[in-house]
Amino acid sequence: MKKLLFLLIAALTVFFLAACTANNEAGEDPEEKENVEEPADNGETTDEESGSDEKVLRLNNGTEPSSLDPSIGFDAVSWDPLNNLMEGLTRLDADHRAAAGVAEDWEISDDGLTYTFTLREDAKWSNGDPVVAADFEFAWKYMLNPETASAAAFLGYFIEGAEAYNSGEGSVDDVKVTAVDEKTLEVVLAAPTGFFLDVLTNPAFFPINHKVAEADPNWHTEAETFVGNGPFALESWKHDEEMVFVKNEHYWDASAVKLDKVHFAMVNDSNTQYQMFEAGDLDTASIPPELSDQLIDGDNVFIGPYGGLEFFRFNLEMEPFQNKKIRQAFAFAVNRDDIAQYVVKNGVEPAYGFINPGYTSPSGQDFREVNGDLVTFDPDKAKQLLEEGMAEEGYDELPAITLSYNTSDTNKAVAEALHGMFQEHLGVEVTLENQEWNVFSEAQKALELQFSRSSFINDYNDPVNFLESFITDSYMNRTGFSSEEYNELIATGKSATDEEERWNALFEAEKLLAEEMPAFPIRYYNTVVLEAEGVEGILRHPVGYFDLKYADKK
Amino acid sequence: MLKYILKRLLIMVVTLWIIITLTFVLMVSVPGSPFNSEGNSNEIVQQNLAKHYNLDKPYHVQYLLYLKSIVTLDFGPSIKQPNQTVNDLLGRGFPISAELGIVTIIVAVISGITLGILAALRHNGVIDYLAMGIAVLGISIPNFIMATLLIDQLAVQREWFPVATWKSPMHMVLPVLALATGPMAIIARLTRSTMLEVLTQDYIKMARAKGLTPWKIIVKHALRNALMPVITIMGTLVAGIMTGSFVIEQIFAIPGMGKYFVESINHRDFPVIMGTTVFYSAFLIVMLFLVDIAYGILDPRIKVAKKEGE
Repeated sequence: MKKLLFLLIAALTVFFLAACTANNEAGEDPEEKENVEEPADNGETTDEESGSDEKVLRLNNGTEPSSLDPSIGFDAVSWDPLNNLMEGLTRLDADHRAAAGVAEDWEISDDGLTYTFTLREDAKWSNGDPVVAADFEFAWKYMLNPETASAAAFLGYFIEGAEAYNSGEGSVDDVKVTAVDEKTLEVVLAAPTGFFLDVLTNPAFFPINHKVAEADPNWHTEAETFVGNGPFALESWKHDEEMVFVKNEHYWDASAVKLDKVHFAMVNDSNTQYQMFEAGDLDTASIPPELSDQLIDGDNVFIGPYGGLEFFRFNLEMEPFQNKKIRQAFAFAVNRDDIAQYVVKNGVEPAYGFINPGYTSPSGQDFREVNGDLVTFDPDKAKQLLEEGMAEEGYDELPAITLSYNTSDTNKAVAEALHGMFQEHLGVEVTLENQEWNVFSEAQKALELQFSRSSFINDYNDPVNFLESFITDSYMNRTGFSSEEYNELIATGKSATDEEERWNALFEAEKLLAEEMPAFPIRYYNTVVLEAEGVEGILRHPVGYFDLKYADKK
Repeated sequence: MLKYILKRLLIMVVTLWIIITLTFVLMVSVPGSPFNSEGNSNEIVQQNLAKHYNLDKPYHVQYLLYLKSIVTLDFGPSIKQPNQTVNDLLGRGFPISAELGIVTIIVAVISGITLGILAALRHNGVIDYLAMGIAVLGISIPNFIMATLLIDQLAVQREWFPVATWKSPMHMVLPVLALATGPMAIIARLTRSTMLEVLTQDYIKMARAKGLTPWKIIVKHALRNALMPVITIMGTLVAGIMTGSFVIEQIFAIPGMGKYFVESINHRDFPVIMGTTVFYSAFLIVMLFLVDIAYGILDPRIKVAKKEGE
């Protein structure tokens, strides 16, 4: 009996050890490649690489990209790599405007509906294939296919027939994207869309090499099979660990690309990535919240705008927020300067309107400047509005109010600051409540929360992106707000062929939103990055993702 | 013996089934969906996503689909990382977590037992107080504090070790130290207390009287019995450590599987929740089984097989 037991355990041990050795060997294979360039045993890569002439930039992507399939990866951790591995018809330039990418030129019909793109002759995939119009047609139809279940598909609804196809009612043949010939792509839109060229910079509209994808639907899952058309090519990809990009020699504008290699680490801890930056293992890093006060004023800090807004939603279907004046009262009782400066910190800007600065109108002015401050900090006005509102509703006492937010340290600090401001300036005691993100999000969508935190990150470079959220029954509305006038303004703001008219409608829409106040703004988002000495030229666009095409490391 | 093992196997399968069912019930009763990202969306997109992952089907169908995926050991794609199957994620993460875990356990067991024996032999002496002082610190300092301290002192201030990532044996030192302190302290305290108890037993006195060397007495007679409680906790300890630590892996940017236990729940990534649960439960159950068998070998008084068999 004992012998049997002994044998059993011995067998298990052997099996176990064998499994471990096998793993070790398997693990070493991809590492060998690395060892060629980084022979140091201690894993310090710095000396060796800066010793050679290669320009290597070491960044942190935070986590593994959700997907490098441009139709599927619909988040920042996928967009940042994708934007440097691939290129759409248009690409954002140094002024954050859509400029020529794979498309060298385009024509827009007079009714603003038909776009005819001419692709560059020298646009090539990283495997040497030419980038053809059929690659775009393939990619977009794949994105819109309901079976693909792309989270980005709604961005494609600007195209005629796209919404019907994506909802399962229409046919793929009615999606008006046509490869006329190898280098000509024709797109017909559902309605004129003045910012369509901006929308096209989103990775969801990147091409897919249709020959590669048809042969291997999983082409995008490993470095060996990945084929891109951007400034960089994917050299290696150790999942959850590191991606290495090399300069793509087949890129049409390869001469503009200065870096030889880019390493993307996947370090998901803000302190660790900061310490790696300090130790010289990373060239850029974010600032850990605890160190914000200490580091934010340093010379090596890049602070730029980021297209997004933190705001609070009222639920118009719950008392007392059916009343406009009560909503306004709460909005005017908030000292946004204090919140930005002392609560959120990190150099963020307070928001006195819904649309962040950075959108240039046809007349060359900034959207924010034209519309000015729509909601300010005015305790007297707030108090008066509250009294008027309560009188209108016949309240002697305000119904109990609960302010909800999704659990996070910053959100908590902001909520507590608001609690204090409402108490001080309105004499109202709100109850604070925090919930885990998913629970919170479901409740907010179902209009179960009375007064709740929200954030919005732009998908494309136009004010309508945010403003459209508040049209009647929009999936993003989540306030119960509904106004015919507002819907009409947004319809014009989306589809007027005359840009002047379109922007005027958007100005009016924002004003109306501030007047009705179904939500009030708190602060704009920003990008704060520590950059090591010698790092230059990383384009950080307010909307979306960064661009390493012109980046350099001296 | 065979009968005993078969019986245990059957119980293991039933236990697993109960765990799976409970997990499924909990999973679907928690509010939220995997598609609640902070990004923008609309109804059609949400419907397409739900359909793609079979989440539009009634619960009993989903349950059967999960059971099927478990029986075939194919958990399907992760929802958060749609191009990776759960098998990919665990297949990649587990070897790394296990590698880190095995080294950690070896370090913890060797140092823990040594500390424990030293403390017991020098009962109430300086070494005892020192060893138990270390143990108390080890138990009371959470491993993420330990990790941060180690990084700051040994990687940033002194640059002896790399800060993070997973590339060479040098990268393993700090996470192993951070992970091993806790278990080491527990093992040291356990070993010490049982050693003290065993050392007062008659048979040790007998061994001394026979004139055996102290070394032989400790290793052959005392330690064998003193290890029983250590073996008891080894089952859960090994299963826990080898399947990865969320905190340590996050701090040291180690691509193990520890993060999936936490992140899958935050993301409501149902296939990954199922995969990690089944994997961990099965692993734990097997470890506990091995511990039971190990008892029988180490302590002839415990006859698992016979008791059951007769």
